[in-house]
Amino acid sequence: MLIEQLINGITLGSIYAIVALGFTLVFGVLGIINMAHGEIFMFGAFIGVLVTTSLQLPLWLGFLAAILITAVMGYMLERFALRPLRHKQGVSHLAPLISTIGVSILLENLSHHLFGAGNHPFRASFAEINFQIGSITIYLVQIVIFVISVILMMALSFWLGKTKAGKALRATAENLETASLLGVDTKRIITMTVIIASAMGGIAGILVGMAFNSVTPQMGLSMGLKGLAIIILGGMGNVKGAMAGGLILGLAETFIVVYGDSGYRDAIAFLAIIVILLIRPQGLFGQKIST
Amino acid sequence: MLAELINPYHFQVASFILINIILGISVYITLSTGQLSLANAGFMGIGAYTSALLTIHFDLPIVLGIIAGALVAALLGILIGIPTLRLQGVYLAIVTLGFGEVIRVVFINWESLTKGSVGISGIPHIGREILSTLKGFGFDPKVLGLQNNQFIFLSIFLLLFIITIGVIWFFRRQHRSRVGRAFAAIKLDEKAAESMGINITYYKVLAFAQGALLSGFAGALYAHVLAYISPADFAYHRAVEILIFVVFGGSEVIWGPIFGAFFLTLMPEVLRFISEYRYMIYGLIIIILMAVRPQGLIDVNLLNWVKTKGKKRGQKHGTGNTKSM
Repeated sequence: MLIEQLINGITLGSIYAIVALGFTLVFGVLGIINMAHGEIFMFGAFIGVLVTTSLQLPLWLGFLAAILITAVMGYMLERFALRPLRHKQGVSHLAPLISTIGVSILLENLSHHLFGAGNHPFRASFAEINFQIGSITIYLVQIVIFVISVILMMALSFWLGKTKAGKALRATAENLETASLLGVDTKRIITMTVIIASAMGGIAGILVGMAFNSVTPQMGLSMGLKGLAIIILGGMGNVKGAMAGGLILGLAETFIVVYGDSGYRDAIAFLAIIVILLIRPQGLFGQKIST
Repeated sequence: MLAELINPYHFQVASFILINIILGISVYITLSTGQLSLANAGFMGIGAYTSALLTIHFDLPIVLGIIAGALVAALLGILIGIPTLRLQGVYLAIVTLGFGEVIRVVFINWESLTKGSVGISGIPHIGREILSTLKGFGFDPKVLGLQNNQFIFLSIFLLLFIITIGVIWFFRRQHRSRVGRAFAAIKLDEKAAESMGINITYYKVLAFAQGALLSGFAGALYAHVLAYISPADFAYHRAVEILIFVVFGGSEVIWGPIFGAFFLTLMPEVLRFISEYRYMIYGLIIIILMAVRPQGLIDVNLLNWVKTKGKKRGQKHGTGNTKSM
């Protein structure tokens, strides 16, 4: 029982971590909270449903389509909602936040019109396959989700740490002007960051669809808010913090459902950030707050 | 005559416009110190639930219920405001957003008190209460040639109108007072304001508490005008809607949120065929406005332009008080 819950928690947590990574990348480079990330994530999930359930195509094509479309959405977000605000004199630092809220409202209601408000089931062909180890049941879906998440996180860490583009991104995150003086094409880096973050949101969308077997237009909001809570928990703009924060939240939510009151599951994330901000405002893994 | 002019539906819409104006001002007040609070929908919920529960379970008069609702919201605003003060900008926005979510989850789960997501119905109605009180004095709406329900909606509207005027008057006065100047200084540059001897902690908490008080007040009014509330009324979407009033109308001057609330509440009612796409249009409006006119439609320059237009000789006056109002 305990180990089963532990596995559920880790599965959920690894999805949360990927959602949070999308937030943290954008915040690290641009210093912007991308409120539209949850909705892009939700679109990824819907693309997955369309490809695998409606068109009956294999799952990997679903992933591919979701990545492509959310990447395009990321580009559009950067091009039309963020870029016009950059380098503009006298713009409040809240303007990009509000602008992405606008994108999120637009996308959420667009999906209402495109896909309907109802609940779409997401059936992976291997949804029923499970393994019995002793008294523990593990579903193949959980393993797939976990493996994909870990691969994604490792790839991202490697990319950020070892490749030239990754270094350029980190340099841009540290100081945009200096990076630009040193010959980094910061404009390209920024666009690339938003695109990568959005594509990761798209992948996470499919993973969530598989995990819960349900996709709704409202899922973007709740997941987006949790992603925000996680990056505060782990430290804003901190990649490792986002991963750890995701796992912590996933486990915490799973265990409160088992041992506490399931109704308050969605409140944990926010109670956690309120406590964190009072005790350790830079987050669990953060160095210092940049204001 | 009077009876034909009064369509309950129009007055209902007008009442919502007035409540939304109060909500818009509540965000404007907090924003006038440079803090973006997204918790105002939550405070609105606190006000609404407090007043509704007090009037239902303890037979409190509506007036006392509304005052209690506003005060409880303000108290909570102070409690939340003090610790969150060390946060700035986006951090504050997210924490207040999270706080609003926590309130909503509590409303849904505290079923013994709030009846969960079903919501509370049968809340005492302001209009009916006014009518029955007046009837107690021997007044009959037929004297004015009105049906009972026409009189109810008319009285709600008039009451809210007076309240809203009072609120606007108060905050315009405050804007020109020592407090208003302190708010403006903090918004412009917190550190500079502090070095000038302004107690920024005090004024920021004051602004936060005023915002909470006002949204709790509006929430309590909302509960007694609609006679039904549920947690969904005070969720994220409400928070964003209130924010849009301010962003659309303009966050620099008090006329901004007033215009924003007026226009954006009226628009879907007038353009019925559009209301299905209402939120998509909201989203587009925000994106375009942020790119083109991030200060909102109404700003200081526009007001000055209107002023100088109004009094053609006023060129000298116009330059002297660019910062006032």
